[in-house]
Amino acid sequence: MHDNVVFNNKVLPYFLLAPQLVITLVFFIWPAGQALYQSFLIEDAFGFSREFVWLDNFIYLFSDDEYWNSIRVTFVFSGLVAFSGMAVALLLAAMADRVIKGATTYKTLLIWPYAVAPVVAAVIWWLMFNPSIGILAFLSWTLGHQWNHYVNANEAMAVVVIASAWKQISYNFIFFLAGMQAIPRSLIEAAAIDGSGPFKRFWQIVFPLLSPIAFFLLVVNVVYAFFETFGVIHATTLGGPGNATRTLVYKVYEDGFVGLDMGSSAAQSVILMILVITLTIIQFKFIERKVQY
Amino acid sequence: MATVSLRNIKKTYSNGFKAIHNLNLEIEDGEMIVLVGPSGCGKSTSLRMVAGLEATSEGDLYIGDKRVNDLEPSERDIAMVFQNYALYPHMSVARNMGYGLKNQGLPRDEIRRKVEKAARVLEIEHLLDNKPKQLSGGQRQRVAMGRAIVRNPKVFLFDEPLSNLDAKLRVQMRIEIKRLQQEFATTAIYVTHDQVEAMTLADRLVVMNGGKVEQVGPPLDLYEKPETQFVAGFLGSPGMNFMPARIQGQALLVQGDHRIDLPDMAELAQWDGRDITFGVRPEHLEACSEAEADFHLKVDIIEPLGADTLLYGHLPGSDSLMIAEQPGKRRYTRGDVVPLRVDRERLHLFDAETEQRLNE
Ligand SMILES: Nc1ncnc2c1ncn2[C@@H]1O[C@H](COP(=O)(O)OP(=O)(O)OP(=O)(O)O)[C@@H](O)[C@H]1O
Ligand SMILES: [Mg+2]
Repeated sequence: MHDNVVFNNKVLPYFLLAPQLVITLVFFIWPAGQALYQSFLIEDAFGFSREFVWLDNFIYLFSDDEYWNSIRVTFVFSGLVAFSGMAVALLLAAMADRVIKGATTYKTLLIWPYAVAPVVAAVIWWLMFNPSIGILAFLSWTLGHQWNHYVNANEAMAVVVIASAWKQISYNFIFFLAGMQAIPRSLIEAAAIDGSGPFKRFWQIVFPLLSPIAFFLLVVNVVYAFFETFGVIHATTLGGPGNATRTLVYKVYEDGFVGLDMGSSAAQSVILMILVITLTIIQFKFIERKVQY
Repeated sequence: MATVSLRNIKKTYSNGFKAIHNLNLEIEDGEMIVLVGPSGCGKSTSLRMVAGLEATSEGDLYIGDKRVNDLEPSERDIAMVFQNYALYPHMSVARNMGYGLKNQGLPRDEIRRKVEKAARVLEIEHLLDNKPKQLSGGQRQRVAMGRAIVRNPKVFLFDEPLSNLDAKLRVQMRIEIKRLQQEFATTAIYVTHDQVEAMTLADRLVVMNGGKVEQVGPPLDLYEKPETQFVAGFLGSPGMNFMPARIQGQALLVQGDHRIDLPDMAELAQWDGRDITFGVRPEHLEACSEAEADFHLKVDIIEPLGADTLLYGHLPGSDSLMIAEQPGKRRYTRGDVVPLRVDRERLHLFDAETEQRLNE
């Protein structure tokens, strides 16, 4: 056994940490500070005047119906993405767990979508749902329904949810499958002898044992839906129709870069930052916690 | 309570591997059968076919007078104790034990009553509200037993239930299992590769090898009259000594030149001049005077166990290992040459080719 290794050089550790620290400072701390500072200001669009207004930007936001609408959209959107992505992944994992022949091929194919960038995924789905040229829109036409997500708010929501969840299914699938394969076979067999059918076995034995994984994935998926789906929305619905798919992140972009209302945009960023931090803390707490059944 | 019949059971796994060749076994009501054999001989496969966890490829399986080949595990009225206990980690001990009853749709207070009764028998009442991971190995083992007896099944199935316990606990639980099985008088099939466990628990022992049954019978019958060289070598610890030999009239020439006069065995005349394998258990080699000696063992290693002493050595002019078990009170040192006499009533002769038993 060694005692703790002691480095006498006082400079070297900082030198080695420097790249990471510099990146964090330049790309996170500094912009975050900027955003925080700007959220207390009201500027005109061209930067000619600025006024320090304390929390006015925030107060204004929370009295704005548009903002509340965006919050609602975000929660509905994230809930749907997390739920559908996890439900489909769970179903696929349950089936993959039973496959013996060609299992590797099957798994590899299911993992591929994860390698596709969200925006690319979005463009593919956008093409397929496109009311004039999309194959899925065409299919819905032949079934007597006129698909048009440029007009119909629910259909627009469906498109962004599908495009976002599709990619996430791969990720969820890997975790669920690994979780299922870690459950000893004999447990399932014991349950079968105890008179529990396949469905009961799944919901009473397998699923409870997967619940720690499911909770972890829930947090990951919500974080993803909140913060990483800008590209998907931008490539498909542009937040429309009538703001039906304008999530909080998308609104930050619209208000800041389109509306040029920097103060409000910055305030919204700060709120999102607080959300990220909260979710991250939840996730860390979860990882630290010993898995409890 | 029920009989169990396995008739011409065969098992070929989906990868084409023939795990069971032809298994025939009639188990009586209330009998405890132990399947024993080396790793990979098909013990678990056989047990799992009875449980319904593995389909039979051919043959008929009866529990009572019902053919159960096509029944689900839950419809066979069996209970199984697994090597890793297979307790549901997210359920309390009480819920683990009551899960089967709950699936049968029994009312809650009746489940509680039955679980408490079984827990009392196993002395785990104080653990009913604990989760499995809060229990020791021995306690988990008891819970797994409790889960089996609470359902009062027709047949108990055990797949190496004690192999995860330490030696002392294993002995204790072995006695416990025997006691419970006798108390409930439930038919039981018990799989193990531990031959002490096998000998002590079995009403009848089934020795398996390479997917085939070598011999079936009460443990002492198998110990005294093993039908094959495999059974002879498998049962007993330390194992039987085997030596190449040749029959010459009423005598045996072991390893060429050690002559052993055989007691009157008429049937041996037909084997005159034939190559055979001679077997004798370490405990049936007795230290004797020079004049009576069949062998002289040169001692290499001594294992004093207290009650007995094991002598590991070889015959002069030969490399092959020979083991003798002697009463513990006499002291030996390395290099001793011990004159030994074979107990004439307890020697075993096997055909060198077929490895089947020759003498009565
Ligand atoms: N699912 C399977 N597919 C193919 N072969 C299998 C399968 N399960 C078991 N086998 C093979 O069948 C043979 C018997 O296996 P089994 O598990 O019955 O052995 P066992 O006697 O219980 O051994 P052990 O004492 O090691 O538990 C082994 O050679 C094993 O490799
Ligand atoms: Mg086995």
